[in-house]
Amino acid sequence: MTTVIETRELVRKFGSGETQVTALNEVSITIRKGEFTAITGPSGSGKTTLLQLIGGLDEPDAGDVFLSGSNIAKMSGSELSDFRRDHIGFIFQSYNLIPVLSAEENIEYIMLLQGISAKIRQSRVREMLALVGLEGMGDRRPANLSGGQQQRVAVARAMASKPDIILADEPTANLDSKTGIALLDVMRQLNQQMDMTFVFSTHDHKIMDRADRLVHLEDGVIHLDESRSV
Amino acid sequence: MLSLSLAWRNLFRNTRRTMLTCMLITSSLVVIILVDGIVIGMVNVMVGGITQTLEGEAQVNRRGFRENFESELVLDDPEEITRSLKRDEKVRSYAPRVIVGGMIASSYNTTGGLVYGVDYQSEQQVSKLKQAVIAGQYLSGEKREILIGRQMAALLEVDLGDRIIITTAQVGTSDITQELFRVRGVFEFGPEELDENLAFINLAAAQSMLDMDSQLHQIAIQFHDAQDAKNKALPTLVNLNKGDVEALGWLDLQPSIGGMIEMSNYASTIVGVVLFVLTSLGVINSMFMSIYERIYEFGVAKAIGTRPWQILSLVLIEAFLLALIACAVGIVIGFLLSSYFQTHGVPIGRMEVSGVLLDGNMYTQVRAYQFVAFPAYVMMLTVAAAIYPAIFASRITPSQALQRAL
Repeated sequence: MTTVIETRELVRKFGSGETQVTALNEVSITIRKGEFTAITGPSGSGKTTLLQLIGGLDEPDAGDVFLSGSNIAKMSGSELSDFRRDHIGFIFQSYNLIPVLSAEENIEYIMLLQGISAKIRQSRVREMLALVGLEGMGDRRPANLSGGQQQRVAVARAMASKPDIILADEPTANLDSKTGIALLDVMRQLNQQMDMTFVFSTHDHKIMDRADRLVHLEDGVIHLDESRSV
Repeated sequence: MLSLSLAWRNLFRNTRRTMLTCMLITSSLVVIILVDGIVIGMVNVMVGGITQTLEGEAQVNRRGFRENFESELVLDDPEEITRSLKRDEKVRSYAPRVIVGGMIASSYNTTGGLVYGVDYQSEQQVSKLKQAVIAGQYLSGEKREILIGRQMAALLEVDLGDRIIITTAQVGTSDITQELFRVRGVFEFGPEELDENLAFINLAAAQSMLDMDSQLHQIAIQFHDAQDAKNKALPTLVNLNKGDVEALGWLDLQPSIGGMIEMSNYASTIVGVVLFVLTSLGVINSMFMSIYERIYEFGVAKAIGTRPWQILSLVLIEAFLLALIACAVGIVIGFLLSSYFQTHGVPIGRMEVSGVLLDGNMYTQVRAYQFVAFPAYVMMLTVAAAIYPAIFASRITPSQALQRAL
């Protein structure tokens, strides 16, 4: 299978002097296309930092991040913005939809940034809403959607740009366990139907159970990396 | 289009804050429109006070005459000047005058003053002498009639029909001459200086008393377009400025008023600058509050690929729309208030500025540019004030903004 993500000896430290903390210490990981990977570990283990570095939201102190063959650590700010827009989909813990835009407009926003024509945008918005099971709710603003529905819109938004991978940091943390599992099932379904690569962090065992690969971090170091059959 | 829609909707996330910021911008615009209208109104009153009361928009005098009204300094060939003024299409009217200092005495008292000999018909076209008559009647051309100021009448203790003796020196011989006049009317221009010291008789009577034949001391001029009087290159004035003859517009005749007008314009500019600075600070504060509330959202937007310039333009569009709403309201309120004060005036009491009486109300002047240029400045400055917050928003680091999540 094609390698989508490859990190080589990633190091990220925060603070300085005696208060310096090493969030990631020489982390190397390879993720192939179509994998449904869970990054697990206790709070402060470096899950978020690893996802930030993979997503080009932060710069490593040492090491490289290759995403679809491009070394994002070497990219300028604008190149990185465009790369994120075209190759990475993000799902955030707190949904993070734009509150003044409807569900449809939130999904459409990223395609506008990509310069996609209105006709294609409209059709893809409908497709994405159907994929996440929100047909007929496109005109609702986030405030008029439940937490689970908002997170489904966030998933649809992440997928709308047809990215190579989708990064999700504890996407179910703010949802009740039933809604969280339902969301994971939607993500898993998209992963299988569209061969989309998902990397998500979690410390919920019910969620971990749905991943076909587990990467366990502790104190910024990978302690376990196992593939599983679900 | 979505950016515009997004910016518009963002404005109404916090309606109260948007309205307060709008009110700040609107108030500044309204104040600027009113201040400008008042300054123009004041300048017009001051210029009108100078040019319409007595002086005229321009004057032709013998060079040096205005320094101390030396009666020997006469216009030797006034007919040539009046012929030229008659032909000039820019000149609306002119009034020939003889001006001499003398003793003005009644049966009870004596005072010094300036006696104007005027052509009662042409004087009506140049000065407000006829309108200023508050008792009795205006000149009719009869030889022995005289108009005196209200304060002079009080000083001399005379009333309508009472006798007045003018004593002065004849032009040329300097022989003392005396003439008897009867008070036909009492005038009040307003400024004490005029009402206490001036008296008006008919031109022919003055020329006869001073033994001047058809010579004159002064010709006051009014133009069709008042702006012509400020044009130093105006052929009317340039052509008359020959040898001992001096033709000057009111700005040269009253340089102190020119200074006052310039000062008024500076005052208007200073008020404008202060208001714009305060408004800009308000806008910056409001935009920063709005950005800090949405810092997480900007982090998300940047994370999903929004470029810094797109964030920057979003914030600037928000500021532009804010200014657009504020200016639309400001134009309406400014127009209504300015129009109201143009009709009813702003009460200022009674005061004299540089010999010009400002009495009662100051009337604002409504001008089209106040509703085009000022809103344009306000909008530009509001957007300019938003540049700093916009740059701040565009530089937000996604990883820091998203610390709570990814």
